[in-house]
Amino acid sequence: MTGELSEAVVAAQAGDEEAFRFLYRSLQPGLLRYLTALVGADAEDVASETWLQISRDLPSFTGGEFRAWTVTIARNRAMDHLRRQRRRPSLPVPVQALSELAGDADTAERAGETIGTEAALALISTLPPREAEAVLLRAVIGLDAETAGRVLGRRPGAVRTAAHRGLRRLAALLDRAQSDQPSGGAGNAAPPRPRTGRGRQAPSAPHAEPADG
Amino acid sequence: MSFRRSDGPADRAESERLLDAARDGRPPAEPDPLWHLLAAAAAPANPAELSGEEQALAAFRAARSAPAPAAARQRRHRRWRAGAAAWVAGLAAATTAGVAFAAVSLDRPEEPASPPATTPGSSGEDGSPSRTPSADPTGSGPGAPTTGPSTTPGATSGGPGRPAGTEQLTGLCRAYLAKPAGQRAGALETSAFADLVAAANGADQVERYCLRLVPEPAPKSPSSAEPTRSTGPAATARSTTPPTPDAARSAKPTHAAPG
Repeated sequence: MTGELSEAVVAAQAGDEEAFRFLYRSLQPGLLRYLTALVGADAEDVASETWLQISRDLPSFTGGEFRAWTVTIARNRAMDHLRRQRRRPSLPVPVQALSELAGDADTAERAGETIGTEAALALISTLPPREAEAVLLRAVIGLDAETAGRVLGRRPGAVRTAAHRGLRRLAALLDRAQSDQPSGGAGNAAPPRPRTGRGRQAPSAPHAEPADG
Repeated sequence: MSFRRSDGPADRAESERLLDAARDGRPPAEPDPLWHLLAAAAAPANPAELSGEEQALAAFRAARSAPAPAAARQRRHRRWRAGAAAWVAGLAAATTAGVAFAAVSLDRPEEPASPPATTPGSSGEDGSPSRTPSADPTGSGPGAPTTGPSTTPGATSGGPGRPAGTEQLTGLCRAYLAKPAGQRAGALETSAFADLVAAANGADQVERYCLRLVPEPAPKSPSSAEPTRSTGPAATARSTTPPTPDAARSAKPTHAAPG
């Protein structure tokens, strides 16, 4: 945890409102993005619940990695939410976003260059949940593999493997998005590849597998 | 599954490096589309993502005015621990004061080295500098030795088992009213708002109850403030203003800066 963040945690525990605001601004974007992958369009609601609980339980935070503490709360709230909804983690929006990504020449052309945050998250969300979570906890929340493993209740090695598989899949997706645009130019020296299957389909159909446990 | 040829990372170690680089915003030596993708996913906040800021702050205020049972339990536990430590230290002080003090310090390295041995007996209630400021009305900064024989648990507003106070309900109402209309009903089903629903005599009464309690609905101001990762205003504000929990608690929520 960065010194700045832990300072803010201590100050917020002492009642410093500005410190809490700082925590919110530092952590909310990552939490919201992670939650979007877990619960889709309900992410904002679940993020609100998460901050309610963070506010309430802040005095009981006794040290350690604050990011991990908050993301664990977020994850629990997301799992509760999904139980309430009686459905498993699904990825309704992202798949559609991916189709648009693959179908839209401009987007695809730009995919590797100046891809936007939403499109990037949409792509990551097409991964199997375990891989998506590993990638998001590592790259977006900023945890190391050990800490991410604690959040997920899995061994660090399993997190590394899942993240690695996820990255390989993402690389293949990007590769495909680019090769699907033979006349795209974009300084791409690679010869156009024959389209295997319909380019708008993710290589792995999104599983309805639970994110964990 | 079989991967088509791509520039994906060759092994786990390379993946780890790439993930770290994306998180830290360090571009790799060679252009890598995958790095761009990850860096975009980890990009700084856009204002829309922070639209719940005032709501979160309202929740923070509400929680401050009525500590959760979990927190109270913890504090009791800590108090007990501190009491026991002080007792042991006091006992040992008669014989080997220095050793006892060192032992106590080692036992609780996370806390400032306030000498419990100097106030044996008087610190049974709150001899340890608690992280919760409410137990420290002197306002002395962290690290300052507090030999608090006069501090009482009563200094905390809202003990365990205490029914939700007006202050807390006001905070909950603000949080409730800050929600978009479409989310309110759902929010009331969460445990966070259980006290409010009980106080209002039912979820359908909450709206009326809150409008009476908080005459003016909290404006839902979309925060346009930029997140400050490196040198936030919060950091400077923290360093200049001493912790004044009472002021923070009683301060009216400032929705003053929507621009």
